[in-house]
Amino acid sequence: MAVVAFDRSVLKVNQMILMVAIVLGYVIGLAYPGIAWILPVLAVMMLAAVASPSLNIPRILYTQVLRPSGIVKPRIVQEDPAPHRFAQLLGGVFLAAASIFVITDLLLVAWVLAWIVAALAFLNFAFNICAGCIMYAQLVRIGLLPLQREPAL
Amino acid sequence: MILLLAPLIALAVVGGAALLLLVQRGGQRELVGSVVESQRAQRQLPSILYFTGESCTICHTAQRPALRSLAAGLGEDIEIREIDIAVEPTLARHYRVMSLPTTIVLDASGQVTDINVGFASGETLRRQLVDAGMPVAA
Repeated sequence: MAVVAFDRSVLKVNQMILMVAIVLGYVIGLAYPGIAWILPVLAVMMLAAVASPSLNIPRILYTQVLRPSGIVKPRIVQEDPAPHRFAQLLGGVFLAAASIFVITDLLLVAWVLAWIVAALAFLNFAFNICAGCIMYAQLVRIGLLPLQREPAL
Repeated sequence: MILLLAPLIALAVVGGAALLLLVQRGGQRELVGSVVESQRAQRQLPSILYFTGESCTICHTAQRPALRSLAAGLGEDIEIREIDIAVEPTLARHYRVMSLPTTIVLDASGQVTDINVGFASGETLRRQLVDAGMPVAA
């Protein structure tokens, strides 16, 4: 577990992209169901971001455009990015599952999964409640993920 | 038109999960902020309120060790109080804690002098405690 300087604005940009794309996609999808193919695109975006920072489109957008132009200000904190990466992975998995339902034409299930991702992204964006991080901590607690912990003060 | 149900089902799922979490936490005790305030006032020392939670991995891996080293170095000059926001949500609300870890430095009169959102190093906290009136060793 490494504590590093970590810019939370990257996460906020990622969450904003997810929320806007899913809600907009859903609304347009009510008239044009084919727009549901945006879900596999979002799934790839999320999973690629977990795989490598150089493939992280929200990060690239933030560092190349939004931060230099002053639209989004940096929010640097010292923390371990692992829980956030896990949360992103979880979002990617949900969207990948939604993509499978898009392919099999079960659009209701696909959009339910996408809305769950959007709702959780909103919770994180607005209230800093990271459901993926909570799950990460639970997995650590039951020993499925390794973590060195100190006893309470 | 069945697609119109999608956001409702999703919100029900997320809301249900949140409710379960709240019910799970519901039986745990709360501690009223004023109790802490009176305890601190009696000691007349700067103090740190360290807000943490089960889900906060950096709290356990970095913030707690940093506070432990700080406490070891400063001995009786300060009071550090660890607060699990799930156990003491009233206190977390009182100080408007929205993110973990959060460390709040208070001077001897109980006034907030610094708030650190995210990890705060031992050196940062030590400097803030000095600013809050902690005696500096000669």
